[in-house]
Amino acid sequence: MVISFKQIEEKLKTEAKRLLGESQVSIVLAYGKGYDENHPMPYVARNPSDVDNIVFNEYCNYNLARYLVRYPAGTKIAVAVKAADSRAVIQLIQEEKVKREDLVLLGIPVYGMKNPKTHEIIDGKTTGGLYNPVLYDILLGDEVHGQAIQSPYDVLAAYESMDKEARFAFWKKEFDKCIRCYACRKACPMCYCDPCFIDQTKPKWGDKSPQSHGNLMYHLTRFHHLAGRCIDCGECSRACPVDIPLYLFHKKVAKACEEMFGQAAGMSIEDKPALVNFRVDDSDKFLE
Amino acid sequence: MSFEPKILGIACNWCTYTGADLAGTTRLQYPQNLRVVRVMCSSRINPSFIFRAFQLGADGVLVGGCHPGDCHYNTGNLYARRRLAVTKKILEFSGLESGRFRVEWISASEGNKFAEVVTEFTEQIKKLGPQIKFKISQ
Amino acid sequence: MSRIGVFVCHCGLNIAKTVRVSELAEFAATLPDVVVAKDYKFMCSTPGQEMIVNDIKQHKLDRIIVTACSPLMHEQTFRKVLTASGLNQYLLTIVNIREQVSWVTHDIEEGTAKAKALLNGAVYRARLLAPLTSRVIDVNPNVMVVGGGIAGIQAALELANTGKKVYLIEKNSTIGGHMAQFDKTFPTLDCSACILTPKMDSVLQHKNITMMTSCEVSEVKGFVGNFDITIRQKARYVDHSKCNACLSCTEKCPGKGTSEWDESLVKRKAIYIPFPQAVPQKPIIDKESCTFFKKGKCRLCEKACEQKAIDFEQQDTFVQVKVGAVILATGFDLMDTKPLVQYGYGKYPGVYNALEVERLFNSAGPTGGKVTLRDGSEPKSIAILHCIGSRDKNNHEHCSRVCCMYSLKFSHLFKEKTSADVYHFYIDMRAAGKGYEEFYNRIIEEDVKFIRGKGARVTQSADEPGRLVVEAEDTITGKFIKLPVDMVVLSSAIVPRADARDIARLFNLSTDKQGFFMERHPKLAPLSTMSEGIFIAGACQSPKDIPDTVAQAYGAAAEALTIVVKDKMELEATTAMVNPASCCGCQNCVRVCPYGAPSYNAEKRVSEINEALCKGCGLCASVCPSSAIIARHFTNDQVLAEMEGLMEF
Repeated sequence: MVISFKQIEEKLKTEAKRLLGESQVSIVLAYGKGYDENHPMPYVARNPSDVDNIVFNEYCNYNLARYLVRYPAGTKIAVAVKAADSRAVIQLIQEEKVKREDLVLLGIPVYGMKNPKTHEIIDGKTTGGLYNPVLYDILLGDEVHGQAIQSPYDVLAAYESMDKEARFAFWKKEFDKCIRCYACRKACPMCYCDPCFIDQTKPKWGDKSPQSHGNLMYHLTRFHHLAGRCIDCGECSRACPVDIPLYLFHKKVAKACEEMFGQAAGMSIEDKPALVNFRVDDSDKFLE
Repeated sequence: MSFEPKILGIACNWCTYTGADLAGTTRLQYPQNLRVVRVMCSSRINPSFIFRAFQLGADGVLVGGCHPGDCHYNTGNLYARRRLAVTKKILEFSGLESGRFRVEWISASEGNKFAEVVTEFTEQIKKLGPQIKFKISQ
Repeated sequence: MSRIGVFVCHCGLNIAKTVRVSELAEFAATLPDVVVAKDYKFMCSTPGQEMIVNDIKQHKLDRIIVTACSPLMHEQTFRKVLTASGLNQYLLTIVNIREQVSWVTHDIEEGTAKAKALLNGAVYRARLLAPLTSRVIDVNPNVMVVGGGIAGIQAALELANTGKKVYLIEKNSTIGGHMAQFDKTFPTLDCSACILTPKMDSVLQHKNITMMTSCEVSEVKGFVGNFDITIRQKARYVDHSKCNACLSCTEKCPGKGTSEWDESLVKRKAIYIPFPQAVPQKPIIDKESCTFFKKGKCRLCEKACEQKAIDFEQQDTFVQVKVGAVILATGFDLMDTKPLVQYGYGKYPGVYNALEVERLFNSAGPTGGKVTLRDGSEPKSIAILHCIGSRDKNNHEHCSRVCCMYSLKFSHLFKEKTSADVYHFYIDMRAAGKGYEEFYNRIIEEDVKFIRGKGARVTQSADEPGRLVVEAEDTITGKFIKLPVDMVVLSSAIVPRADARDIARLFNLSTDKQGFFMERHPKLAPLSTMSEGIFIAGACQSPKDIPDTVAQAYGAAAEALTIVVKDKMELEATTAMVNPASCCGCQNCVRVCPYGAPSYNAEKRVSEINEALCKGCGLCASVCPSSAIIARHFTNDQVLAEMEGLMEF
């Protein structure tokens, strides 16, 4: 089966027009034209007439769940969600940042999405191994069956084969590149803190200039803050201007969390975020 | 001169810190490489404290709390168990020797366990040698 | 810029022996913001404290560091010194160079180096300390005493006599505890009932005591001064408000249960009072042995009751009680010696445990005070085996403290009531206590035989069916002996109550290695616990005899009184607060707090902390991703600064 991006775009437009026209929602979060085909932009449609500006193609990677927390509580929002994006919405519902009843989820079943920089297909790398949204109100098309993925963690194989010295060298090289533009946290749907811990002056957790130790502090702490919450959309890595493969670390932590706590982030609105939760019979082996 | 590691300890007030006091009261001997910060509960430990300790040059970090189920604040250490487990994984994934970070449940009556853990951990850190990966060079 | 004073204590030679204290003071003087640094022999003494007071005035100090013993020891002492000098008490930092330095090393180089590092950390931390204001709360004037044995009874009476209202909670249907099971008490041999039952009656009559039998604590909320405790009143199936204690119900009852009070040696009715002097004198129905509950027919007790007090429909109920302080006097259990198969308890009818023997001596007991074996015959020879399960690293390492003395008491009573030969098998005789050694000497005169050697095994005699053989090594002669006897008494270990850990969890107490409740300090605070406002008395803390138990009960009553005698009290100011400017509204704090202190203000989209509920654990601060929560006295900056100081040296 070949995905028709045009078909999805049409369905998205139709639903957006209807929802806005019937005043079911006050905004629709979707994608619009960017400066070229490869760079579509997040787009906010407020009137039925805006809907014509909506586009959808294989470069529409942005996780639009990122923008939900910007609107005042109670705003009725329709949002276009791919598989990982829908998990971000679930996670935000768990964290009570958004309410389920305020949202209309326009689910996009899709595979073959591409990285606009490298044009490589991101399937299996940063989609959590899923192609269909976990949660939606309206599915824009039929469920799809992309290239089968054994586990979302398969892509970790090369990294996991490194010994600790190689791992350290790998991440040192990557973190040293960081210019502290914070595009990763801007792109991340779960990074909604304002201010971010690293911007605090009291305490000053780490250096704010792009020095290796400040970078390390920022990234390691951010990995912890996202542990059990990262839904593997990979937006952080694609947003990174110096191409730090942050998704690898996040994925590795997500894998550990799933193994230890028996739950993956953003899979059920009934779950409680794993790191602000416990089970009495959690194993002490976690600490070994 | 042989390598004398610097080990940071973070101990909860009610169990491990009191257990450490008991080790003293009963005159148990253990290596002097450990410097303890007292907090009220092991759940107070922010993951960044651990990252920061290694940046400050700690060769090892030892966290001590009440046994699960015996927390003075009922459930504090049950949260701590998860949060510190993830902290440990992150250190490991970043390439730091995972043996440099240890969490132990030591009750107020376990002075001997405190002394044993400190002795054993100090030996382990000595074997691992100086921690230079995270340490901020002057 | 702060002005720090550092005061290094020698603690005699306790610290000075393995830390060069004057060098430490000189070192302190070189650290940032340290204005004055001194060392002195005993900083906690009056001259030591005065030195601090004077230096605060003379040098205008605004931070004090006392480098001495553990903060758990003298933090309060030195806080008072600061308060007396007009400084906020939270500007004090204690550096623990005794328990955690000088006592754990013999090497003065190592000790001094570590002390310097700890002191440096303290200076870094002290510079960031902020004055804090203690919260003042209203104190509930009532006290709860849990456990109606001699400790609980004594504590309740003391408190009630001061005019305070006391709730006495007892899980059994009568108060009295183990002491009510005894016949005589050592070393005076006065009758246990004669000294106890008047006290039990006083409890019943006292206008300030609410006695709650067949009750258990099910939930504890709140904190010192304001505990909110839920009590489960177990169904008695008899309405005690109607019952006039005529006990005609018990006469008619055909049911047969095993008498817990008589250590299962005899049967009792299904509707019963445990013993004739029980308080209250009102019966309960044991569901397990009641014919009606088992077969759905009977109700003879109901017919016998003129007061219409029998209520088969009764359910457990829950009662809320508010108190300012709690005394736990939950007592002990006797170790179950069945697992020690070498002694044959539970297998050979001639082997008894100590509590069973207490009941045999008691005139209200199963045999009316006659010492007879289970077959009704009088034993001709009796062996008393000391230290069964205690002083035994395979079982309980601790000495149960009272066994030597009650074993001696047993031998006296055996001699008085039978013509049997009595043998003691003991490791060594522990008779420390007023009149105890004298009692021991008296028993020696009574033709009792002492064999110094722990009983190793009890077997059945091959030659004489029904008789037992005690095997032991007599460590004086070095000979292995086999002694045939008719009766064996096991002086088994005194162990914590089976539910001691559950009780400890309810009240947030620690337990020691053996499982007894742990005191705040073994010498200086033996009756208080790590939980403010919760006190302990009697054998729940460790095995002890009646005089010590009663002394502790008085002490615990006085401790509880120090809290409830005041209308108001100060609470620790080390609570958490939210800086709303940094709060991202993630509500992690709301999710994790065990006390429900944080709540989310949806309008302002920030969390807020109710300080009255906060206990200062700091969990919320560590789960706050944007560092918006300030855990007072353990703030992120303070901890980070201390760590930095510690790692510098």
